[in-house]
Formats: sequence, C-alpha cells, structure tokens
Amino acid sequence: MVKVTLKNLTKRYGKIIAVDGLSLEISDRSLTVLLGPTGAGKTTTLKCISGVLAPDEGEILFDDEPVTAIPPWERNVAQFFQTYALYPHLSVYDNIAYPLRERGLSKSEVDRRVKEIAEKLRISYLLDRKDPSTLSGGEMQRVALARTLVREPKVFLLDEPISNLDAKLREEMIYEFKRLCRELQQTVIYATPDYLEALAVGEKIAIIKDGKLIQYGTPQEIYYHPANKFVATFVGSPPINLIEGDLKIEKEGIIFQEGGVTIDLSDIAGDWINRLTGNKAILAIRPEDIHISREKRADSLMAKALVAEPLGHETIVTCKLGENEIRVLVKGFFNVKYGEEVWLKLNKQRIHIIDPKTEEVIL
Amino acid sequence: MATTSRIVRRRSPVKRALLYLVVVIVCLIFVFPIFWMVTTAFKTRAQAFSWPPLFVWEPTLRNFIDIFIKRQTEIEAITGWELELATGAEIFFYNSIIVTFGSIALALIIGTLAAYSFSRYRPTGTDTLMFFILSTRMLPAIVVAIPIYFFYKALGLYSTHIGLILLYTMFNLPFAVWMMKSFFDEIPKDIEQAAMVDGTTPIKIFYKIALPQVLVGLAATVGFLIINVWNEFLFALLLTERSVRTVPVAIASTRGEVGINWGLIAALETLYVLPAIILIFLLQKYLLRGMTFGTVRGV
Repeated sequence: MVKVTLKNLTKRYGKIIAVDGLSLEISDRSLTVLLGPTGAGKTTTLKCISGVLAPDEGEILFDDEPVTAIPPWERNVAQFFQTYALYPHLSVYDNIAYPLRERGLSKSEVDRRVKEIAEKLRISYLLDRKDPSTLSGGEMQRVALARTLVREPKVFLLDEPISNLDAKLREEMIYEFKRLCRELQQTVIYATPDYLEALAVGEKIAIIKDGKLIQYGTPQEIYYHPANKFVATFVGSPPINLIEGDLKIEKEGIIFQEGGVTIDLSDIAGDWINRLTGNKAILAIRPEDIHISREKRADSLMAKALVAEPLGHETIVTCKLGENEIRVLVKGFFNVKYGEEVWLKLNKQRIHIIDPKTEEVIL
Repeated sequence: MATTSRIVRRRSPVKRALLYLVVVIVCLIFVFPIFWMVTTAFKTRAQAFSWPPLFVWEPTLRNFIDIFIKRQTEIEAITGWELELATGAEIFFYNSIIVTFGSIALALIIGTLAAYSFSRYRPTGTDTLMFFILSTRMLPAIVVAIPIYFFYKALGLYSTHIGLILLYTMFNLPFAVWMMKSFFDEIPKDIEQAAMVDGTTPIKIFYKIALPQVLVGLAATVGFLIINVWNEFLFALLLTERSVRTVPVAIASTRGEVGINWGLIAALETLYVLPAIILIFLLQKYLLRGMTFGTVRGV
C-alpha cells in the first residue's frame, strides 16, 4: 500500500531501449493499467519496479522513498509473470505457499491463506496436484495469480494476468479480479496489450509505446480525449475512422474536403485551427458517433453501404464515403444491401482533428 | 519412440526381419567381447587357452577366489609366475571407488556452482572463459604426463588418493561446467525472478529453485564423469604405486614371467565392469539426454 513514483526510468538491452525516460506517479491504493502493444516496455517497467531488473537511469520511489538500491527479495512487492513462472518442482499448494513460507509465516497461517485465495480464484480442486506443468494454461494462470495475490505486499505487479484465458472465463475473471482488488485495497499495477481489458480493469490507464509514456488518464479521458493518433487508433473497436483531407478556411466557415466529400466544420471552429501545421488535416470520429439512416436528412452525407456485421446488441456497418471506408456502429440489427445508398450524420461535438505531420490530436 | 514404431509397422515383414537381423548382428559385434570376458572369467587357465574355444565347460569360481585370497605359493607353484594380485585385489577396488567418488563429488560441487554463475551472472568474458575451460581438454593427456609426474613428486602428491582425486577433478571440471551450464541455461529466467520477488535470496535460489530443476542433468553429468574416471588408465599408471593403484592399472600389471593368466584378468574385469554396467543401465535415459542436449540448441 504505497504510492509508486517512476522518475525518468530508462532500461536498455544493448542498443535496444526498452524503457525510455518513463515518468509516472501511481497513487496509493489505485488500480493502474499499463497499456501498450507488445514490445512497448510494459514487462520491463514492471520488472524494474519489482527490482529483478536494474534500471540504467532514473529512480523508483515507494512513498517518496527511493527503492532502486533495495534488492527484490527485500522490496516486498508481489509480481505475476506473463510466463506464469510456476516452480516446476513444487506442487500447486507449495507454489502458492512459497512466498508466505519465505516470509516465515506460521504453518497454520500459510494453510489458511493458501486455502482462502484458492477458494477466491476457484482453484481449490487443484491444490493437491503434484506437477504444475500438467495444468491447462488457464489453470496455470490462476495458480500463478493465486501465488501473487496470496501475499500482502506494498504493491502488486501483474503482467497480463488474464490474457490466456478463453473469452468467457476472461470476462468472469475481469469482474472477479476487479472485485478482489477493491476488496484488498492495494496498489495494483497491471500490464496488458488489450485495450478492452484496460478500460474494464483500470481506474487509470498509462499508454506506453516504444518505452515512452504517451498518455496517462482515466479510461474516460483516454477514450474521449486521446492525446494523439496512436492512442485514438489503439483504443476502440471497431477502430476510430480516420479521413485525411484538405482543410479550407473560407468566409462562410471551415470546410473539410476529401474525395468529393465536403464536411462543414464551422460549428466546431476554435483555436485548434491555429495549431494546425499545414492545410491538411485528419478527421477522426468513432463508429458510434455516426448516425446512419436510409432517408436523407439535414446536414448528412451520402454514402454507399458495403457490408453489415451484426453482433446482436449492435451492428457494424461499413460504408464507402467518397474514397474512404467508414465504419458505423448501429444499435440492434441493421441490414444493408451491397451498394445501397445510406445517409451518414456525424456527431460534430465528437469529431477529433489530428495534425497529419505531428500526429497530435489538436481537437 | 512412437514415430519409430509407426515406421516399423508400415514396413513389409521381410524388410522388418532384415532390419532386426542387422540390429542383432550389430549388437553381437558389440556384446561379444563382453561375453568372451565373462565366460573366460569362469574358465581355468587351461580352458581359457584351449583350441577350439570351449563353449560348454564346467564353470569354476576359482578365478574370483584367487583375486581376493592370497595363495601366492600355490599359484606360483602351478604357474611359476610372480603375481601382482597376490595380496588381494580388494585394495584396488577400494582405490578406484575412493578416487572416483572423491573426484566426482568435487567436480560436481565446483562445476555446478561455476556453471550456475556462468549461466546466470555472465561475468565479463564468459564466452572466452568457457572456451578456456574447454581448451584444457583439447590437449592429449600424454603431453602433460611428464610435467605432472614431476609436479606431483615435488608437491608430495605422488601416489596419494588426494593427488589422483585432484587430477581427475581437474579433468572432469570442463565437462561438468559445460554440461551443467547448458542445463541451467534451459531454466526460464522468470522462475528465478519470481523467486526473488517472493523473497528468496540468491544463494537460496540456487539450491531451492535452480538445482531441483536440473536433477536430470545432474544425473546425466554424474554418469559421464563416472565413466571418465572409472576407466582412466594413463595417469593412474603414472602417478600411483601399489597402495594407491586403481583396478585398470592393476589389470594391466597382472603379468607373469611365463604368460598371462587370462582367467584371473577376466574375473577382475568382470567385477570391475559390473558396477559401470549397472550404473549405465540405471542412468541410460539421462545419459541419452546428456548426449543430445546441445545438438538442437547449439551451445
């Protein structure tokens, strides 16, 4: 239960920079997600925090006390490894009991806590198993999670703890996990490459790419106010629509033009226009912020429907708007014929403008 | 195994029979000297020399008794040659066992620790050092025989158990280090890192986490080292006098003035080979793993 501060954390493997000047403040008892694609430096960051890797530069502080010089066996953190890292020569029970025994807890206390966590993670039936390598992937993952959560450390570090479960179990685990974390009232740092998991689990999300912090905020901030093109496209499914075109500022207002499509942006004019480095702009809009209908309405754009993918509670409709393929999310079912004429109305308050040169989101 | 049997099953009966015939012939070629050795051990001197060779005879335990029991006068009266074995061969077996187990214990302790350090901590120049360790095995043993002889004489190690143990430890260390390093290299780093985070200090990680995972490798290494030492002849001959002499040297010394008592030699050899055969039988699956461990992965 500490506040974790990373100051300019840098870790290199030879010429490769895994973590590049990462600074982050993770508040006490918060559930923070490190989100980023594979190879972004999430695992390295976690390993630096637990101490199994020594950073090349920068500092790690627990409650403003530097811990960089404290070896991992004295740092009192619990870490879940992406590879599970179960002790192959120990039984499931002994694996979970291991960190407690290493800390010299009494036999009865160890037994009580192992059984309690096994119950919570629904692996009690596995405790007698001798050889952990005979477990299924999902079982191994839960045993490893139990070994991590059985302790009461200063901070929990979880590296993709539920990535290898099947979809149904995973959904259950997200809920179970979040509940467990709130029950434990601990500082948790959680790494995942899956944005859905990040949004569902995290109270705060730190987006990391190429070892650098791109954006740090609540799930809502990340989703509605992405910092740049990478965040905008990385978070959200179906992905955000991007249309690159010319921006013209005329007397009548601001006009966005691309492939014969003209969008009037006068309503959302603001000082972002001054931040644009050229006269090109990328218009970004999420699929759920476009309204689709078969009748022409005011301020809507004509498009050709291509395919519809019904998902039950919603349908993804792909349309051709000018030269661009646009995805639209519709509630319920919406069947289209190939090439059918549809009308799209953009929710202008939800439009983002990205500068194509800097890739920054300026609106 | 499964693949092999599937292939065999698909073959025609004729081909299969031929295949087995080849296997049997090859086995006979390899087994025949051992067979001859064992049978000779149960023959009298006259029977051992008889031509055509005897395949049916009344086996005698005389040779085995003669190895251990002093009957100098009797044997000398019969054969007329002076027998090195006369005081009983148990001393040679004792020497072989002491030297083998002493040197293997040492080589394993030092080798395993060194291998673990090389594998996990990779000190500066690890690759060079590993090559350097191996390079001591590239020299033919005979090249260093004379220097070591004088060296041992000067240091008072000549004809001592500890002298032979140290020498064999040195010979076996490269083997132990290289083999054990490969096995340690196979342990995922995450497992040891998990143990660190769980509160285990590095020394404890070595024996509580790393060592239990390389027990198979350790067994394979032990097998190889025992074979190396158990059969060593050159230095045992050069550096020992009677009191420290090992069995291979003793066998070679069993020469008389009028000829060689093959029955005695065969009995001695049979007894000496027996523990090695039992050991290899027990360790065979580990030995196979030890022999193939590097071939897939490179170094």
